Amino acid sequence: MEQQDLQCSMQAVEQSCAALHVSDPGIRSSAEATLLAFRKSPHPFYACQYILENSQVATAKFLAAATIQEAAIREWTLISPEEKSRLRSYCLQYVMARVETSEGYILSKILSVVAALLKRGWLEYTQAEKASFLEEVEQAVAGRHGLAAQRFGISLLEALVSEFSLSTASPMGLPAEFHDKCRASLEAGYLQKFYAWAFDASVMVASKALEGQGENQESAICTVAIRLMTQILNWEFRGKLAVLGKSRASTLSSSPASRKSSEQLQLWHDLLVSPAKVTWILNFYEHIHQKGNAWLDLPLSVVVRQLIVLMCSLNGSIFPTDGAGTQEQHLQRLLNCIISWIDPPEYVISAVLAGTSERQTGTLSLLSSLTCGIIKASCVRESEEPSWTYEALEVLLETWTVILQPADLSQKVPLPPSGIEAASAVFQTFVEFEMKLSESSALDEDDADDMAAFSDEAREDRLSAVALIARTVPSVSLSLLTMLVSKCFSEIRQSLGSETTTRCLEQLHWLTILSGHVLADPGEGETPTVPESILAVSAEPATHPAVSLSFALIDVAQQSLDATFRTTLSPRMMEAIVWFFGRWVETYLMPDHAGRGPSSTPSGHEGQEVSVGVLFDGRNALNAAFGKDGGGPAVLEILVRVALTSLTAWRGEQVLQEYVSSRLLPALVRRRNVCVQLLSMGSWQELATVFARQDQMLLSLSDSVQRALSGCLCRSAQGLANADAANQLSRWYVKDLLMPMAASLAEFSGRKDLATFSQQPNVIHQVSCVLERLRGAARETIPRTQKAIFEVGVSIMKPLLVFMEIYKNQPSVVYLLLKYVVVWVDAEVVFLEPKDTTTVFNFCVQLLSVYSAHNIGKVSVSTSRSLQNEAQTEKYKDLRALLQLLTNLSSKDLFDFALHADENPDVAQVVYLGLNIITPLISADLLKYPKLCRQYFTLLMHMLEVYPEKVAKISPEGFSQILGTLEFGLRQQDVEVVNMTLSALGALGVFQYQALCKGDDGLGTQSRTSGGDDVLSHFLKLLMHFLLFEDYSNDLVEPAADALLPLILCNTALFEKLKQELVQRHQDVVSQERVSTAFHSLSKGIEITSTIDRSIRRKFRSNLFVFLNDLRGFLRTR
Amino acid sequence: MSDEEHHFDNKADAGASKTYPQQAGTIRKNAYIVIKQRPCKVVEVSTSKTGKHGHAKCHFVGIDIFTGKKLEDIVPSSHNCDVPEVTRTDYQLIDISEDGFVSLLTENGDTKDDLRLPTDDQLNAQISSGFHDGKDLVVTVMSALGEEQICALKDIGPK
Repeated sequence: MEQQDLQCSMQAVEQSCAALHVSDPGIRSSAEATLLAFRKSPHPFYACQYILENSQVATAKFLAAATIQEAAIREWTLISPEEKSRLRSYCLQYVMARVETSEGYILSKILSVVAALLKRGWLEYTQAEKASFLEEVEQAVAGRHGLAAQRFGISLLEALVSEFSLSTASPMGLPAEFHDKCRASLEAGYLQKFYAWAFDASVMVASKALEGQGENQESAICTVAIRLMTQILNWEFRGKLAVLGKSRASTLSSSPASRKSSEQLQLWHDLLVSPAKVTWILNFYEHIHQKGNAWLDLPLSVVVRQLIVLMCSLNGSIFPTDGAGTQEQHLQRLLNCIISWIDPPEYVISAVLAGTSERQTGTLSLLSSLTCGIIKASCVRESEEPSWTYEALEVLLETWTVILQPADLSQKVPLPPSGIEAASAVFQTFVEFEMKLSESSALDEDDADDMAAFSDEAREDRLSAVALIARTVPSVSLSLLTMLVSKCFSEIRQSLGSETTTRCLEQLHWLTILSGHVLADPGEGETPTVPESILAVSAEPATHPAVSLSFALIDVAQQSLDATFRTTLSPRMMEAIVWFFGRWVETYLMPDHAGRGPSSTPSGHEGQEVSVGVLFDGRNALNAAFGKDGGGPAVLEILVRVALTSLTAWRGEQVLQEYVSSRLLPALVRRRNVCVQLLSMGSWQELATVFARQDQMLLSLSDSVQRALSGCLCRSAQGLANADAANQLSRWYVKDLLMPMAASLAEFSGRKDLATFSQQPNVIHQVSCVLERLRGAARETIPRTQKAIFEVGVSIMKPLLVFMEIYKNQPSVVYLLLKYVVVWVDAEVVFLEPKDTTTVFNFCVQLLSVYSAHNIGKVSVSTSRSLQNEAQTEKYKDLRALLQLLTNLSSKDLFDFALHADENPDVAQVVYLGLNIITPLISADLLKYPKLCRQYFTLLMHMLEVYPEKVAKISPEGFSQILGTLEFGLRQQDVEVVNMTLSALGALGVFQYQALCKGDDGLGTQSRTSGGDDVLSHFLKLLMHFLLFEDYSNDLVEPAADALLPLILCNTALFEKLKQELVQRHQDVVSQERVSTAFHSLSKGIEITSTIDRSIRRKFRSNLFVFLNDLRGFLRTR
Repeated sequence: MSDEEHHFDNKADAGASKTYPQQAGTIRKNAYIVIKQRPCKVVEVSTSKTGKHGHAKCHFVGIDIFTGKKLEDIVPSSHNCDVPEVTRTDYQLIDISEDGFVSLLTENGDTKDDLRLPTDDQLNAQISSGFHDGKDLVVTVMSALGEEQICALKDIGPK
């Protein structure tokens, strides 16, 4: 190319680069077009070189470098080997010649170009070629060509490692297989050498690097070298060489390493774990550390710290199997040094003054004084942003948690005496600090973020960590808490004026929350037990620290019942009390197996194990205080009163009422023996009566509280006598609770003036409340209450249909009504007899018809955009409820499919009708709501699996709508949705295939779309493309196999055609061979019969795995 | 739209102008509430406390169901709010007069002639064109606090 041409193209590129920053979009897009054309132009290498050498514009040079990479990879097969090596050495020389310039990022781009070129040819070069090139690099890294060359040698290695790593590799237009081979080659043959070179290089320049201000050439070299080392340690090692296997240690040990890799392991071991190497790194950082604060933020210090962290996390087979001895030594070596860096000097000084000049303190004491120091430092009230003390405290508490509660409980060791002292010191300091903080923040007005205080995860984590520390020293911590609770409470009772009271309230509030964390675990689906360390404290019942603390708080709860004293307390304080007891009840109140916890011995051996001296161990003390035959019932009485008072006397305090109904009451009715007690109590009966009477007091509670309260009351029926009469008694009990409400619904619906009466807001409110309560009761259905809840449900069927009609313009009531029916059907459907089933199904059909009569074809318009959106959301929620209802109904035949196959013909009918109603309402936009999407596909899958013939009869518009949504479902991100779509497709395929075999119609005319295409063929194409070319989770292969098989069988000709197309895509015979072999393996062993039985499916699944393994990496390019 | 346009004779449905007291804490999103003497639909409720140890209060954002204007109110959650009675009644459309009034057929066979076409252009156009195409239209009239407005229509099939 002529000089002039080169000049021209350089100018064009430079101008376009400049134009990229112009604001006019027209100019910008034409500039972009020019640049893109330049990048795509054939053989642009000379032009690029010209730009690199002559241009003054940095972006143009950068672009030229990128273009070299892109073009070389694109035209790789067309370029001669000489040209390739010329390009490579040109790049290297370019870098070497310009090391002194300031354009670092262009140089590193060019290095990555070299790395990409090397990788592209990696599998083509002979060993000798690679060796000679790498030898040059080694020379450079070893510093034989001067400092600049050394630095860029290391940078080149860095670029190489990043190019070969799968996650950072650049696209090459080659099969994924290629990238994997390169990765494996580098891992097996070179990474170790690179690490060794980098280590040697850093040793070489280290002393010079520490001279001066850390800005000389040597320190830069040291930084890149150590960065390369961290990069190599971060490499995702695979297979037997997973020396750093952070997670795969187990798979390693199971596969015996070959001789070669065990040699490699030894080499890695010498490089990473040998004392000399580790000590050198630690000493190096020690030197940096001594340089003072200015050095600590330099890039060099940062990378060395990273390297040390990585060395700490070394794991797996790099350590010989000598019972973790080597690993322990390694960690000890690291820890000794690390501790010396954090050991606060003032601590050492005070130790010297106290006469204990030698440092005999252990790690725990150090950790403790460090934690206390940080807590004290954060006493200075923090600004908005989390300060360093906050972050440091997080890290330290996490450290404590790891020590006190190792992931593997068998490794838990008892704390030494110094550790116990250390833990109490931390706890005391923390409490002291938080008490001060509460006192000073009590009068803050920032109420907004405090509402979520309990759920605030960070706060929760912190409290749990502190609670863990407290539990290691239960006597100290519980006594301290008891003392402080009593002190705060007595101050509140003296009521020294409003501001002081508020301060005390805030402190007591905080103490209550902390006590809850220390005394009990959250449970959350498991049955929490008393923490072992608290159980281990042996004391008389009256003096056991856990008993004292509990009684201090029970005292607060009891006093809160007093109407005059209540005015002194605040809603926030009550919330804490209710929260505390919700947690406490499950652990302490009337435990199920009194006297025998899960960890104690069976009763037969008890006498031998328990010595006389520990007669009052913790369990006995707790039993005496809170057991069924001890103080339990009295405490329960107080708690029920607290619940009742909170619901009635704290009007409008929703958060408090939520806590009562969703934490305290559920905790009370969870266990049967507590329920037995509850039902015999006057306070519980009072609550039930007020509830059943529809007393105004309880009607003013919010919806969710209504539901939860109703559910808890019904659930307590499990406490009724456990004899034959229990079921009958439960039935009466539940009916007593719910029938009055059902009766009032019936009465309303029968009124003559219903049309006007029903629209009054107070009536709407009452109807909504009753619906919520019935829903809450249905949700908590247990076998013995099922009959009663069913009967109540049946008694209000008529009224509900009336309400559905009369409230057609009150969407909120319609929604509540639908939700109630959904929950009710869900709870009852498993239990129903055929006769009852018919009743339920008829009711649902009527309900659906009324709903659709009022909602199809209705256009409502509102003046306000947001009201319009609200209306949309209401529709969406209704639709979800309807889908749920249909799914619940259709699950009926799963339960007694075999039994009453003939007697339940209406299942299909109901759901069919439902689908007819729902499909017109479903749109792609609506399916973007994940919940709706899942529900819809669950139903669709079920329908297609069980009643394909019904679905085939749906209207053509409806059917094409369904097919459209199936295609949509296949493209979803949600694995479960795709899974269900595949099952649905498979079911459709099986149906059609069986029809074909029998000579039936099958899908009949439905199987042709308006364009005349066969529907199933369309899906076959889609699915093949999906499997071979798209990204999906491995879990989907099995369901995909189940869907693919019938689709193939339905249309073998098309499948053959698809195979030919794939074969034709490749020019060379070898690739063609490979594709056809893979296809052959797919159909291997599959005999074609009219039924697709399990063994064929299983065979096909494993075939598909093999097929995809062979083809995917090969066909997909990157 | 000015308020006067709605002040027609309301004696026929006097009940519609009533309000009912309801505790603020129980009024949820999507319910109705009176804010500054206007019937509103609640689109946002948030609760907060007056200081850490104070009592709960509710903050309502409502949209005037007739004008679409946004209104806000803060009420202690134990206090009562006024809840309007909002009714929607369906009438068959008989006629549209030239001056923009509609003639509706009531349940007991009388006609109701005191309502104008809605101000919303889209709905207005749908009603007019549907009527002129000879479709059978049912319109829904929303009323609250003595005000009335056509808010929805439904096509119940051609004549």
